[in-house]
Amino acid sequence: MLTVNHLIFLSAILFSIGAVGVLVRRNPLIMFMSIELMLNAVNLAFVAFARYLQNLDGQVFVFLILTVAAAEVAVGLAIIVALFRQRETIDVDEASILKG
Amino acid sequence: MPDAQTLWLISPELVLAIFGLAILLFAIIWRERVYGALAWVALVGLALALAAAVNLWGAHARLFAGMYAVDMFALFFKIVAPIAGILVVLISMDYLRERTRYRGEFFVLLTFAILAMMMMASSANLLMIFLSIEFLSYMSYLLTGFLREDRKSNEAAIKYLLYGAITSAVMLYGLSLLYGISGSLNLGDVALTFSKSADTSVQTLALVATALVLAGLGFKISLVPFHQWAPDAYEGAPTPVTAFLSVGPKAVGFAVLLRFTLTTLPGLPEFANYWTPLLVIISIATMTLGNLVALRQTNVKRLLAYSSIAQAGYMLIGLVAVNLGGSSPFSGLNGVLIYLFAYLFTNLGAFVCVIAIENATGIVEIPEYAGLVKRAPLVAALFIVFFLSLAGIPPTAGFVGKFFVFGAALREGFLVLAAIGVLNSVISVFYYFGVVRAAFFLEPKDTSPIRVAPLVTLSLVVTAAMVLLIAVYPEPLFNLAAWSMAMLK
Amino acid sequence: MLDRYGVIALFAFVAILFPAIPLAMAWVVRPKKPNRSKRTTYECGLEFEDFPQAAQNVWVQFRVQYYIYALIFVVFDVEVVFLYPWAVAYNALGLFALVEMVIFLGILVAALAYAWRNDLLKWV
Repeated sequence: MLTVNHLIFLSAILFSIGAVGVLVRRNPLIMFMSIELMLNAVNLAFVAFARYLQNLDGQVFVFLILTVAAAEVAVGLAIIVALFRQRETIDVDEASILKG
Repeated sequence: MPDAQTLWLISPELVLAIFGLAILLFAIIWRERVYGALAWVALVGLALALAAAVNLWGAHARLFAGMYAVDMFALFFKIVAPIAGILVVLISMDYLRERTRYRGEFFVLLTFAILAMMMMASSANLLMIFLSIEFLSYMSYLLTGFLREDRKSNEAAIKYLLYGAITSAVMLYGLSLLYGISGSLNLGDVALTFSKSADTSVQTLALVATALVLAGLGFKISLVPFHQWAPDAYEGAPTPVTAFLSVGPKAVGFAVLLRFTLTTLPGLPEFANYWTPLLVIISIATMTLGNLVALRQTNVKRLLAYSSIAQAGYMLIGLVAVNLGGSSPFSGLNGVLIYLFAYLFTNLGAFVCVIAIENATGIVEIPEYAGLVKRAPLVAALFIVFFLSLAGIPPTAGFVGKFFVFGAALREGFLVLAAIGVLNSVISVFYYFGVVRAAFFLEPKDTSPIRVAPLVTLSLVVTAAMVLLIAVYPEPLFNLAAWSMAMLK
Repeated sequence: MLDRYGVIALFAFVAILFPAIPLAMAWVVRPKKPNRSKRTTYECGLEFEDFPQAAQNVWVQFRVQYYIYALIFVVFDVEVVFLYPWAVAYNALGLFALVEMVIFLGILVAALAYAWRNDLLKWV
């Protein structure tokens, strides 16, 4: 039987995978995918809690996380495209000139 | 269906939303022909929003099913936000004219950023906190990367965005746990669940969840260890945007942090045992790291970035030394608000000085400031005023802020914390003095006078006057802070 | 039993004839002047062979145009999520929700107008 505990556990695992991905990878596109994974883990937790608590607030929250994540990707890709046009690489370490 | 009363209570936000969209429409319809005028449209909008917020002073209401609090605490920040916006518009007009084709869009983004700041100040619901923080963040990312042809601007934006996206995901995870514990998104209900539950596992989970939320807010305020984005974003961003980032998100980040901690945490019996040491450590780390790294900076924007990280550490002392019971002016929270208000004018003023020089000569490296006093005497003199205020030396606004924050720490018995704060202020004098030394005591290579644009001079005079005014006549600010704090209790 | 399978067989037969007849007619009628680009498999108008030799690995660089289209699409596509709950509860919500939705769509249209005005919807 699938209980809320299983879902929260799965969400924690997904979140951790995303967090590790974002820390070890240096390509912003892959970092974005990892961040999306973290956000989806959060979505899963919200939906699981909402179902467990018989309360719709959590599902509304998920709606808004989805749209906000889309906006985030739009902003992020726009900046990545601008960055790529400048220096032909998007690797965040290679591209770095701001240091100190 | 909202009635007229509700619309009246959100009138500052409505004004900004309408003006932001209007500027966008003007930019779509007439494009380059009206770009020069759009800054003035933004100024009118911000001034009207400021008037609307002042006009609402004294209101106390919860709107939209308790999601949105219009109280004096929120209104304090709704007064701060448009003031910051007006000053940033004044200093950005000349700066942008030479650097980008898209001057109209800049003011759209800035107007919406101020709107987002107001929404953050009023958020009394986990969903509203999330949405308004993200709203402000996206506006900040876009403003940071606004100079698309500039490598540094792009790099600053992508670094800022990646840090922001990670911390907001972490914060969201914390919010989901808080929702799971309490079954409600309302801050008041979350607090109620905390206080009613005797279950230790709930208490532990609540501490973990609130710590995760602190990560998201710490990013906005640039607390150590969530500060790494700040120096790069500040150096690479267009300088007016840097000025905005150093005061705007930090101020309303504190607004959310104060409302969040003071509403939800008293319900946790373990609050004092876990949170106070945590905040003390973060505060000490933030002050010390900011000041020590600032010592070896040669770029003035980077120097001010580390300085503003350190300033966030001082402000956090006020939250550590919080005392909700008494009515003493040294309640910690008063200190934070007074400090924030003083810091707003001081730090913006320091950046106006930087922009005055950068606009005319493109100089942002401190060694090149040599002999500034002969080339731009007013700017060099006001640098001293703002740096005295940042270091907390009387007779300036910064001294008033530090006096109340450190005073609260002493009153609540945080002697070591107050001592470290004072020690850090002493360290900060060294690097501020480094800039002053270059400007006053070194011989210039180039002695041609620097012409400062009239609007920049105006903002210089206004910020400097406010810094000195707060120092000699602080009573109105005390009352403002005391009233807005009384509302939060 | 068999006649039921017969129906399926009949359907299959018609289904094969349906595209086959027009294709055959076109084959009979059309002029035949093949050239290189007509003989290639159609894929977004860009040919793999057109890339310089150095770029002919899997990581070909796509044109930025694709990103801009995708970005605009994603944003508007996701905002539609708010229309569904509103449409489902339309009768219960009444006039004010309609006004709210018009404002919401108005803001989206302003963004679209901005993209349009800046020639982002024009394929170059």
